[in-house]
Amino acid sequence: MLVEQVINGVVLGSMYALIAQGYTLVFGVLDKLNFAHGEIFMLGGFICLASIALGASLPISILVTAIVSGVLGLMVEFVGFRKFHSPDAHITAALSSFAIGLVIIDLSQKVWGAEPVALTLPGTLQTATISIAGLTVVVLRLTILVISLLLMLVLYVVVTKTTLGRRIRAVAESPTKAALFGINVTRVNQQVFFIASAMAGLAGLALAVRTGYASTDVGFTFGLKALAIMAIGGMGDLRGALIGGLLVGVLEALAFQWGLGQLADVFVWLFMIAILLVRPAGLFGTLVSKEIRA
Amino acid sequence: MIQDYVVFVGVNIVLAWSVYVVLLAGSLSFANGGFMAIGAYVSGVLTVKFGVPLVFATTIAGVVAGAIGVLVGFPALRTRGIYLMLVTVGIAVSVKAVIESIDYVGGIQGFGGMVGTTEWHVVALVVLVGCGLWFLSKSPLQRILDAVREDELVAASLGINPVYVKLVCFGAGAFLAAVAGGFYAHYLIHVTPDQFGIVLSVFIVLYAVLGGTNNMWGPPIGATIMTLIPEFVRSLESWRPTAFGIIILGLLLIRPDGLLAFRHVTTRAKGVLATSLSDGAKPD
Repeated sequence: MLVEQVINGVVLGSMYALIAQGYTLVFGVLDKLNFAHGEIFMLGGFICLASIALGASLPISILVTAIVSGVLGLMVEFVGFRKFHSPDAHITAALSSFAIGLVIIDLSQKVWGAEPVALTLPGTLQTATISIAGLTVVVLRLTILVISLLLMLVLYVVVTKTTLGRRIRAVAESPTKAALFGINVTRVNQQVFFIASAMAGLAGLALAVRTGYASTDVGFTFGLKALAIMAIGGMGDLRGALIGGLLVGVLEALAFQWGLGQLADVFVWLFMIAILLVRPAGLFGTLVSKEIRA
Repeated sequence: MIQDYVVFVGVNIVLAWSVYVVLLAGSLSFANGGFMAIGAYVSGVLTVKFGVPLVFATTIAGVVAGAIGVLVGFPALRTRGIYLMLVTVGIAVSVKAVIESIDYVGGIQGFGGMVGTTEWHVVALVVLVGCGLWFLSKSPLQRILDAVREDELVAASLGINPVYVKLVCFGAGAFLAAVAGGFYAHYLIHVTPDQFGIVLSVFIVLYAVLGGTNNMWGPPIGATIMTLIPEFVRSLESWRPTAFGIIILGLLLIRPDGLLAFRHVTTRAKGVLATSLSDGAKPD
């Protein structure tokens, strides 16, 4: 039972980590908080829902979700961040992305209603279980875990090994110097927003599939927690977001196990405050240099 | 009806000022919605369960929230920038959750029975706080705050203790938010923890930022506009949040420094400044 809870926690944590890595990428490059990120995560479930309702198969829907979320991310970058590029505009950028989030929530409630909408997959995809060494695990959860970890691995490779990743790291370190070396900073910002938002959309899809319904208020509950997780791991640190996500996911699952379920929502924040008191820049962050580390 | 407007606008003005006071020393607080909740609940318990007079109860609530603010602010202000923002978000979320779990004040159902706030209480509060801030802006203390906000290292080298200054501002912000929350609760009669969520905290910051935070008149203007706009877009009833969000975005895009930024450097002045700087930097 305990081990199963821990596995559930790891699955939950991998979804947290997916969102947190998106936050941390945007923060690393732009030095700004993207409050609309949680709402794109929320929309992920609905985009998948809509595309399945239109008759697309699951793999196609997953692809559609990633692309549409990414495009929405480009929109957020254009409306909420393009104009606020000065270093001390981070309050304005946070508030404008928050306003975008409000609009997204309201519009999706117009389309799908304020109540959660059931998302059922064909066949036994959502209920099939598998027994490994005496433990019963829902196959879907394992799949989510594997796919999330794979996505993060891909992101790691992209950031550390490819030209795109080198550009991203250069802009994160200093946009001015990167521009002097001929890097199109706006283009890199767009690419980062696309990647981050596509990942958030997929995380939203995973949550919707796992719980069986898409809901318009997960952006403020689940999405906001990922923000705390990013701070726990250290901002701009992909590894920190992953470890922080898994840590919080497991601890939350254990909290439910021990009957402290109602405190689970606060727990992340208290944990974050405690971590920041000991390490003011998160587990892996440094206050001195600013870069994307993987 | 007009009484509603006066009370809500007044309460929001004081809330916007509570954020402004914290910003004076350079820190941004998303915790003021939480302190407002503390004010509402503490004053409510005092008046309903112990029969304390309203004004006295809100003052006590303010002092309690201020003390809590200083207590949590002391460790919180060790962090900076966006980390500090997130810590204050955490404080707001935690306060709400703690209130929800206390059965003595009704838990999720909320707490009721507070009466007594008239529009005059709120007007008096706004005038009082406004006068206080006006005297502050003319006093040497304002220059200390400016120094800490612009450069903590320089301030420290001039014998100012930045941590102490920031802490006082954080506590003062908590005090103001709690007093506003106290009067607000006694006007609404019944409050629930849900009303004091993180969205409220973000909105309070929005009031201040939209109005402009580099002088004391910006936040009240932002608060007034943001409180009254929803009433005007009421004709669009069902599209209200969307319209509201778009208006916020529009305001931020048109005036990123706030509607009333007196010390706003114009593009022309910036050009002159840049030329004179580059002239000065020329090697001779």
